[in-house]
Parts: sequence; structure tokens; C-alpha cells
Amino acid sequence: MLKLFEHNTLNVKDISEEQTAVEVKNLNLWFGNKHVLNDISMRIPKNKITALIGQSGCGKSTLISCFNRLNDLYDGCKYNGEIIIDGRNINSRKVNVSRLRTNVGMVFQRPNPFPMSIYENVCYGLRLQGVKVRRHLDDAVEGALKQAALWDEVKDRLFESAQVLSGGQQQRLVIARALALKPDILLLDEPTSALDPLTTLFIEELMDVLKKQCTIVIVTHNMQQAARVSDYTAFFHQGRLIEYADSDTLFTMPEKKQTEDYITGRYG
Amino acid sequence: MVNRDIFGLNAVQRQSLVISLTAFFTSLLLIALVSVLILISFRGTAYFWPEPIYKVTGTLPDSSRFSVLANIFEDASEEDITLKYSDVNHPFGFQKQIDRKQLLSANLALESAEIKLLDGRRVMAIPEHIVVPSKPPQPLDNIGAVLQDVALITAQIEDLNTEHLAPIHEALSQFDKRDVVEDAPAREKLVAAFNEYQKRVEALENTRAQYRLLVSFADGSPFIIPISSIQDVDFVSRLTTFEKWQVVFSEIGVFLSDSPKQANTSGGVFPALFGTVLMVFLMTIIVTPFGVLAAIYLSEYAPNTALTTIIRVSVSNMAGVPSIVYGVFGLGFFVYTLGGSIDELLFSDTLPAPTMGSPGVFWAALTMAILTLPVVIVATEEGLRRVPDGLKAGSYALGATKVETIIRTVLPIASPGIMTGVILAIARAAGEVAPLMLVGAVKFAPTLPIDGEFPYLHLDRQFMHLGVLIYDGAFHSQTDGKSASMMFAACLLLLIVVFVLNILAVLLRTRLRKRYLKG
Repeated sequence: MLKLFEHNTLNVKDISEEQTAVEVKNLNLWFGNKHVLNDISMRIPKNKITALIGQSGCGKSTLISCFNRLNDLYDGCKYNGEIIIDGRNINSRKVNVSRLRTNVGMVFQRPNPFPMSIYENVCYGLRLQGVKVRRHLDDAVEGALKQAALWDEVKDRLFESAQVLSGGQQQRLVIARALALKPDILLLDEPTSALDPLTTLFIEELMDVLKKQCTIVIVTHNMQQAARVSDYTAFFHQGRLIEYADSDTLFTMPEKKQTEDYITGRYG
Repeated sequence: MVNRDIFGLNAVQRQSLVISLTAFFTSLLLIALVSVLILISFRGTAYFWPEPIYKVTGTLPDSSRFSVLANIFEDASEEDITLKYSDVNHPFGFQKQIDRKQLLSANLALESAEIKLLDGRRVMAIPEHIVVPSKPPQPLDNIGAVLQDVALITAQIEDLNTEHLAPIHEALSQFDKRDVVEDAPAREKLVAAFNEYQKRVEALENTRAQYRLLVSFADGSPFIIPISSIQDVDFVSRLTTFEKWQVVFSEIGVFLSDSPKQANTSGGVFPALFGTVLMVFLMTIIVTPFGVLAAIYLSEYAPNTALTTIIRVSVSNMAGVPSIVYGVFGLGFFVYTLGGSIDELLFSDTLPAPTMGSPGVFWAALTMAILTLPVVIVATEEGLRRVPDGLKAGSYALGATKVETIIRTVLPIASPGIMTGVILAIARAAGEVAPLMLVGAVKFAPTLPIDGEFPYLHLDRQFMHLGVLIYDGAFHSQTDGKSASMMFAACLLLLIVVFVLNILAVLLRTRLRKRYLKG
């Protein structure tokens, strides 16, 4: 029954507004004079895994950084168009960026745990929110680590430095750190490219569990990974959205020649 | 083809020539470092080592004979030796260089002692006996007991002075201020009490003066030393090696805890050590927040424009400005301008006598802070630059603002870099002399900048500094061997202070690094 439900992916054109987690409308973005994202429009469905694929420099990482306004950190970044999350245009100046980022978690390519204890890493976001009650923090840490399937491995050494964990454990810790804030959307920027195949598999299984609670957008260079884990896939080329469809369709019978070249090039 | 033959050597020979040249200069460097350390430690520790006393007889160039008790120092030249001696003309020590040929005899004088006085002077003489009031002369073995008796009397005198005379004096000055006729009887009573106590003090002082040590010099001429002025009597020529080490340690204790005496040629260096540490401590408190905040602005907030580049270059260049320039700036700006304005605003009742408008420990610390600011800024910026962008992005992605990211993530990771800057600043400030002499460090300060009197920390006071003490000692040393040793001992202490500070900071830095950075 569950299996059936999971395969019940809609055609991207039929995603209704209620089913949309992130709606991108005519998004353009420049770094200096370089036009990095060119008129992107797409609806990313709720509680699904959407993969963004394409060559390096095609703008897919930049696009997910738009979802939590992380591009604001870079000098010379300009953008227009709308990104609607929870019925609000987050590109508006009035948006509280800190609050937005607690709702839209992000995991980076290289595991980047803070040089603190495991416990403090998971608490980082909560402490910023002003949570001080020890019991609340304890509960949140345990919950987040359990969600990230790391609890059993670290429950006896929560107060040891996070630096001693292995790469895969660190990446799950970083996921737990984002989950502790209970985000609606989780952005994964090539989360497994620095990890070994077994750990990669572990994280992929984790994503499959997590999508029940939040919408996942993953950027990946690994075609097989995109095909394996994602419900929807979008192919980008030179800042343009070339093709966007449910993963089964996109990987088996792509509409565009460019998409086919890219996919088969990888396979071949 | 280019002829690459140099001096007709083949490739292997050329390579070994380069290697030996570079190795040669590296070893020169090592030799220079090691000889500095050896010279300073050897000459520095010699100050504490008790030299045996010899009875030296000889002839002077005018063929008259002399006979003195002396320490003998070998000179660099073979023909000469240096005598540091006491005789009836120079009881407190004098120094003379004589030709070896003039020397007739030099025998270890087992019966002679080095008598250290409380004012820092030393007498080399043969103790005869002790004169004690209303008792027959005492043998020398009783010196310990007699010293104790005298110390007891001194304590009584001190007691009378502080417990009775000083309060009465205070009360009298109060009466003088009020100047009322009704006070007259009470005043007279006080004056009577004052005179009574004064008489008792005088009596005690007279008794104390009767305790004397009779000594004689090599030619038999007698000399009298009041027991109350004696600190210690050592029969240095009789000491075993172990006892000599005991003397060394007690001397080191005196050196570290006592004030300089006899114009910084004997006694201890405690005020200078204290002044150095206090000045460096104040400087660290001032320079660390200034430097760190400036570095944070430059590295995290300043826009990447030409102006920022100019500021960065200027900061680096400021590290190369000669320190005396900072000294003059400190004197002209801090002391005269800033201090003068503070005096006019807050201490106008004591003008024209300056309060803050004269050199003092605070101005010295502020000047040193300006001098070391570039070091801290550059090192902190270096540390901030080492913080991985991924960590900052991770912090922002969890909803942290820029300030929160800097406080919670960037600064802890940059802390080893900040520590490095502070260490360099401390080492530089501890060793600096020239600018300090302009803004508050003096050869001799009668009081410490900290005492029991409100407000306890007197930032306007002048202070002593080890570097200035050494500078001062270097002038004395041209005429006096013993004060040269004091200079070397102070040098050794300064080296140790800087080494200890450095090692502490390096340990702290390693700990922080282990905690905040991957290996």
C-alpha cells in the first residue's frame, strides 16, 4: 500500500498550489555581470525528494541557495523574480532571513560540524532561538539525532568533540543539526559527494525516511543517485531549466535532446 | 651552451658547496643564539654565587705595600687581575685592577666574612667580637641571637611609631586645623604624651646603637658596624659547596623580593619585575579588545575597496615604526595633551602640580598598546582568514545573524591566531625600553603603583621596568663589576619572564587549536 502511494508521482504540470512547498517564478540571478540563473520557474512538491542535476556551474547549487537566501552573503549578487514558500515571497526585503533559514535547513557538500561537542552542534540553532531550558535541549538533541540515525552511535559521547566523528557520521550530525529546528524544507547540496559508497547508501535511506516530515531538495552529480532517491528531477544547463519531470519519466524517456545527452553521457 | 662552471666545480661539488655554505650560516646563527644564552646565564648567575675572600698582599707602583681582603677576578688579559676589596679607606668595597707581578701573596682568608648591610652595601672584614650593652663582649657565634635581640628592639620602635606617635601626630594636626581655644588643654595632654613616647623611642634607639660588631681589616685596622644595619654575616671562604648553594638561593629570594639599593647596584629587582608585569598586563587589557575589534571590522565588514587596502597596508607599516616615535607620541599626546586636559577637568584644585599630566604607568601601557596594536590586528586577521567559509555558511544556514556567527563560531576558531598576536605583543612590550623612559618608567620609583591606599591601583604613578633597570645598569657596569652582575642577573630574569610568557601562551594556543581546529 505504502509502495503504491510512493510511486504515485504526479506529472509536474499537475502539482497544485497546496501540494507545492517552493514555487519559483521567473527567477533571474546575476553574480556581478554573470547571468547565473535565467528565468527559472518551477514548483517543488511537498514531502517529495526533488533532485537538481546538471553540469558544474549550471546554477543548481545557486538555485537552492536562493531558497534560504544564502546568496545574500556574496557581494555582487542580484536577483529578481519570486520564490514563494508558505504563501510568502521570500525574495521580499521584509522577510526575516534568520527565521526563513530556521525553516529551510541546509546541508553542504563537505561535512562542516562546528568545533564544539556533538551536543552543542545539534543545539546551535536552538540556542540561537533562545532556548535555554536544559530538558528541552536534551529532548531536541535526542530527537534530532534519532531522526538522523546517529543516536545509537553517539549517545554515550554527546559531549565529546564532533571533530572525532567519521565523515559519514559528521554529515549525519549536520543533518541532525538542521533537523533540530524542525524545518519544513531540507536543502542538500551534494551531500554525499565527499563520502564513501556505503555511507552514501546510508544517507540515501535516511532521506527516504525524512521525506515524510519535510520536503527535500537535493543537488547531485550522481545520476544513479538522482534516479534512485528522487521523486522528481530537474535538469539545468547554463542557468536554464531545460527539463523538469518525475524521475521515472526524465530518466527513461526524456523529452529534450540535451537531457538525453547528459544522462546517457553519464551512463555510457 | 651557457658555461655554468663556478670556480671550475662540477655539479656535485657545486651542490655540496651550496649545502655547506647554507649550513655554515645556520650554525653561525645557532652559535650566536647559544652564546647569548650562555653569556647571560653565566654572568647572571655569577651575581648570586658567593666568591671566596682572600687576604691579598702586594706592592703598588710607587713601591708602597698594601694588604687587603678581596675577591679575586681573573681578567681577560693574562697580565692583570681585578681585586674587589675592602680596607680602611674603602670599607664598603672598591675595585682595582693590578698587574699580576705586583701581587705578593693571596691566601684564602678563612676567618674573614662578608657582612651584608640592610642598605645593600657589603663589607669584607674579619669579625672580632660583638659589643652588647651591660654585658662583656660576646663571641661571634652569638651573632644570630644578638641579631634577634636587635630585631626585637627595632620592632618595638616601629610599634611605638605606628601605634602611638603617628595617631597622636594625626590628632594634633586636626587640632591645628580647627584652631579653637577650647582644645588647648586636650592638646597639651597630647603633646605631653607625644613627648613621653618620643623619649621612649629615643631610649630604645640609644640601646640599639650600643649593639655593635667590631671588625678588622687585613692590615689590622679596626672598624665598627652597628648591628642594626646588618642583614647577614657569611663566612664565605669557609662555605662548603652545599652551603654556597644555600646562599645562592637565599640571594635569589632577596633579588626577587627586595627593592634595588645603592642606585640599582645591589639589593633586588622586585619593583622592576612588578612594574614590568603590571605594565604588560594593563597593555594586554587595552590592546586585545581594540586589536580584535579592528581586525573583525577589517576582515568581516569592511568593503573590498582601495581604502580598505590602504588601511591594511598602513596597519602593517605601523609595526615597523621605530618605537621611540611612539614614545614621543605618547609623551606629546597622552601625557601632555590628554593628561593635561584630564587635570584641568578633574584635578584642577591641585594644579599646577600635575596628576595625570605627568608620565605614569597608565600612559606607558597605553603607549605600548598603540605600539603593539598592529601586531595584534595582523595576527587576528590572519586567524580570522583561517576560519573555513563552510563553517560560516553552516552557521548562517541555521539562522544565525552575522554577529552571532562571529561570536559563536568565528572568534573561537580564530582564538589561536588572536593568542599568537597577543603573545607577540607581550614579548615586544616586555622588552621595550626607549619609549617607556619617556612615558613613565624610571630608574627608581619610591612606591609601587599598587598599594593599600585608595584607589589601590595608582595609574598615574611612575614605575620601574626591568629593561630600564638593565639600561641603567649598563652605565654603572663600566666602572663596577658587581653592578654589572646585577645587570646580567636582571637580563636573565627578563629573558625568563619573556620565555615563561611565551611558553604559557604557546601551550594555551596549542590547547585552543586542538579544541577548535582539525589536526
